[in-house]
Amino acid sequence: MILLRLLSWPYVRKHKLRTSLTIAGIALGVLVFVAMRTANNSVLYGFQQTVERIAGKAQLQISSGETGFPEEVLEKVQALPEVEVAVPVIEANLNTGRKGQGNLLVLAVDMTGDRSLRQYEFEEGEEAVVDDPLVFLAQPDSIIVTREFAAANGLTTNSKIRLETMDGPKQFTVRGIMKSGGLASAFGGNLAIMDIYAAQKVFGRGRTFDRIDLKLKPEISLEAGKAALQQALGPGFQIEPPSSRGKQFEAIAKLFGIAASLNSLFALLIGLFIIYNTFAVAVAQRRSEIGILRSLGASRNQIRGLFLSESVIMGLVGSLLGIVLGLLLAQAMSGYISTFLSEIYGVAQHTEEIAADPLVLVSAALIGIATSLAAAWIPANDAATADPVKAIHKGAWESFTDQESRLRLLGAVAFIIVAALCSFTGGKSGFRLYLGYLSVVLAAVMLTPAAVKCIVRLLRPLWRWLLPVEGALATDSLLQTPRRTSATVAAVMLSLSLVIGLGGVAAASYRSILDWMTAALNPDLFVGSSEQIADRSFRFPPEIGEQLQKLDFIDEVQMVRSARVLYKDTPVMMVSTSLESLRRRIRPKAVAGDLEKAYREAARGEGVILSDNLALQHGLKVGDIMEISSPSGVLKLPVLAITIDYSDQRGALLMERSLYIEKWKDPTVNLFRVYLKPGVAPEEAKRRILERFAQERKLFVMTNQQVRDYILRITDQWFGLTYMQIFVAVLVAVLGIVNSLTVSITDRRRELAVLQAVGGLRRQVRQAVWMEALGIGAVSLVLGLLLGAVILQYYLDAIREDLAGMRLDYYYPTRIALLLVPTMLITSFVSALWPAETAVRTSLVEALEYE
Amino acid sequence: MIQLESVSKHFDGKRKVTALDQVSLSISKGEMVSIVGASGSGKSTLLNLIGGLDRPSSGEIIIDGQSLTKISDDELTKVRRDKIGFIFQFFNLLPTLNCAENVALPLHLRGWNRKRTEQRARELLELVKLGQRLEHLPEELSGGERQRVAIARALAVYPPILLADEPTGNLDSHTGAEILTLIRDLHHRLQTTILIVTHDMGVAESCQRTIRLRDGRIIEDLRR
Repeated sequence: MILLRLLSWPYVRKHKLRTSLTIAGIALGVLVFVAMRTANNSVLYGFQQTVERIAGKAQLQISSGETGFPEEVLEKVQALPEVEVAVPVIEANLNTGRKGQGNLLVLAVDMTGDRSLRQYEFEEGEEAVVDDPLVFLAQPDSIIVTREFAAANGLTTNSKIRLETMDGPKQFTVRGIMKSGGLASAFGGNLAIMDIYAAQKVFGRGRTFDRIDLKLKPEISLEAGKAALQQALGPGFQIEPPSSRGKQFEAIAKLFGIAASLNSLFALLIGLFIIYNTFAVAVAQRRSEIGILRSLGASRNQIRGLFLSESVIMGLVGSLLGIVLGLLLAQAMSGYISTFLSEIYGVAQHTEEIAADPLVLVSAALIGIATSLAAAWIPANDAATADPVKAIHKGAWESFTDQESRLRLLGAVAFIIVAALCSFTGGKSGFRLYLGYLSVVLAAVMLTPAAVKCIVRLLRPLWRWLLPVEGALATDSLLQTPRRTSATVAAVMLSLSLVIGLGGVAAASYRSILDWMTAALNPDLFVGSSEQIADRSFRFPPEIGEQLQKLDFIDEVQMVRSARVLYKDTPVMMVSTSLESLRRRIRPKAVAGDLEKAYREAARGEGVILSDNLALQHGLKVGDIMEISSPSGVLKLPVLAITIDYSDQRGALLMERSLYIEKWKDPTVNLFRVYLKPGVAPEEAKRRILERFAQERKLFVMTNQQVRDYILRITDQWFGLTYMQIFVAVLVAVLGIVNSLTVSITDRRRELAVLQAVGGLRRQVRQAVWMEALGIGAVSLVLGLLLGAVILQYYLDAIREDLAGMRLDYYYPTRIALLLVPTMLITSFVSALWPAETAVRTSLVEALEYE
Repeated sequence: MIQLESVSKHFDGKRKVTALDQVSLSISKGEMVSIVGASGSGKSTLLNLIGGLDRPSSGEIIIDGQSLTKISDDELTKVRRDKIGFIFQFFNLLPTLNCAENVALPLHLRGWNRKRTEQRARELLELVKLGQRLEHLPEELSGGERQRVAIARALAVYPPILLADEPTGNLDSHTGAEILTLIRDLHHRLQTTILIVTHDMGVAESCQRTIRLRDGRIIEDLRR
């Protein structure tokens, strides 16, 4: 403790900027960890809260994927002796169309029975209107809203509100305003209650319900009730407590969670390197101090303890800062994530508050401190094991001993062998994939000093050609201090390689999605119920398709019904349409099976065609039998072919529409794929369709280009994180290079002063420092771009095998790589400005006396 | 050649220290002058001010007719570059450059072309009797040889003034004597004005003139 006060504290005070940079490094890692986790948790928590508030006293909920089920199921459930009360529910998500208000969740219920499950508390004087459910029922335009929604929209009882319905915009009358709290606080208060039978019409549900909420008789256990229901209804239904819906949502959004974790890991790794770099620098700068301490009798443990204690304190301060900033960032991010998840998965949720999980916060603090400790371990150990005499001498610490270099080389070779073994023994998935990846990264880190030496030597003639003296001084300084240089280069290299890896995944996804869109997404127009293609709240009756088909400029209409159905109790996206028509129109890329034959057989209802990622996730091959739960029982259908299909991130199965209608008793349609007659302009056709249905229905017509843009925009959002990572990489480069140059300049104060004493102008000294920074930037770029090329393959394998099952071709992100070149060189240059000024502003007399 | 008029230098720390106090001095072209005095008497400060490494708190310094008082940093550098050569106690050679490169450094900084620079570096190293060590790095040389390289570097453009701060202070007496002989020889051959700061009375007495400082003031100016 005394050493901390006497030695560390003055050093920290003297090097405020460097201390701040170190703390910033830790804070950055913790910040991203806390923000990503908390924002993700908040979204999940928001969803869970909505589910629980809406569920009321319901113990079990019956659903059948997203397809809904016929009304008769309700009668069956109500007839069971175990059930005390069972009520039908339809849930739909409406875009309010009002800026800043987001979506409105419409909960459609049967008021006659629903109040035994859910408590509706109304503002004073409102009770009477809904006290008699028959009054409510008799008026199909009735709607109940929450106080928050009413206040935001200036609504009172009997106010009219316009909402989009299947039949176009319609006026609804506010019959009641719910008090805040309880049910009314679900979905952030953006909730409206409607009569279920009105909702069937408004949302095109036909005579189906989405769900049944029920309460068992007091003497019936949950398990017994569930078993009785399962037996009565058969296997096509999910019977779960409301809480399990959150888990389903979590499963659907799993990939997003993984991406969030990867980003946190990335940030922490970067933090680790910044801290390592700073401590390596501090140890190098304080080597004389260490030598003196050791000469005065300080033990190795005391020296090690001194540096480790510093790291713990910095870790703690950085973690606390990161937690506070992370929570603030989470607040800002959660809204974005909500919208993003809703667009991708078509599952609406509303984040009301930040779910600051104490476990996440404590883990973040521990991770911050542990990262700091781990990063400081090697420099602290170096300090502890230093020879006191050597330590006093300047420069002795900057180079690697021959033994160290040999060990590093041996280590690198060993890791390369491990990576090669993993790769040659089928290391495309699971443990071997990750071991191989880790080995490649470690081998690269081990090889960094040798690679830096080689590249700097190659750069030297170029640097000298550019600026003879300054260039030589810059490259010599880099060569002379391999420890410091390689620590910075390794940090920047790793962050750049991650950018290339993730950018490569983004580029490969783009290319694959573009290929798929060209092959399979070729209708001229798409007619749906919302601007969001993934939104499945509204459904059309099939007659709309028939009416579209009658338009003289339309060649063919494919009616598509997509919904998540249950396969092995997991929601799986099912797309049903006329496969005979589809076969004629699209040319998807087959992964397995004879596509022509498969389409013909599937069109006869003799099987299904799977997307590659769905097949991979469930280990399905051509010929395997899929058991799909439907309201009519379990369907056993063979897999006829496997194709590349990105219509859903978690994979999709293609089924003949007539088979779907037969088994799910659901003739509704989500989307019409419209092919125009030759010579008809899509924009003109769009205008005419909208005109034709203007009085009847609210349709959203999108041209092929608009859909492509929409999909690419979603893909952009998904990979928007890549740009954040480029920003982090730039930050790492700035922190690393500023740190490295600051030490370099401190160490070479005398050298730089000599340069000025013998006639070097300030400009020339500045240029020498700039060239050194550019050297670090250039070497990091070369190594980062190379390592990125290797780890990209690991990322593609991981995505294919362990995450999303997507088959992406290797595609080096040349554009990102080209973007990184000026970015990193400019960053290096900018990072050098301040250290270079320090170098020229220093007192020559003091610098010449410095030893 | 060198003129100081009421030059003072104060250092503002926790307490103000006066390193030089109203020093006036005139050194003619071709003189070889030693500056002696106890530690802290102000001799290195005087050398640094004359060499343009530092600026006085007050007073005026004129080098070869040019006042250093109000000129910019870059102009000051140009004075150092063209008119002054430095020899340091700890040699201050750049460890990564070989002998020829170290000597050539000031010439490169002046923008001389490679051929001319190499030619001059060789000529200077031969002058200090190190013509056979062109490619050697400083760490491969003895202390005396390192100081010779430093002298060659100081002479790179044959400046009219050579400033030496304890040039023999880091050498054994035999090597020190050799270096002193070399400096005197160069003075004789090149007619350079030389100022040597030293503790060594032997070195001081070998100069034509000795200036003794105490507490930042000249207390003796002895001409031989």
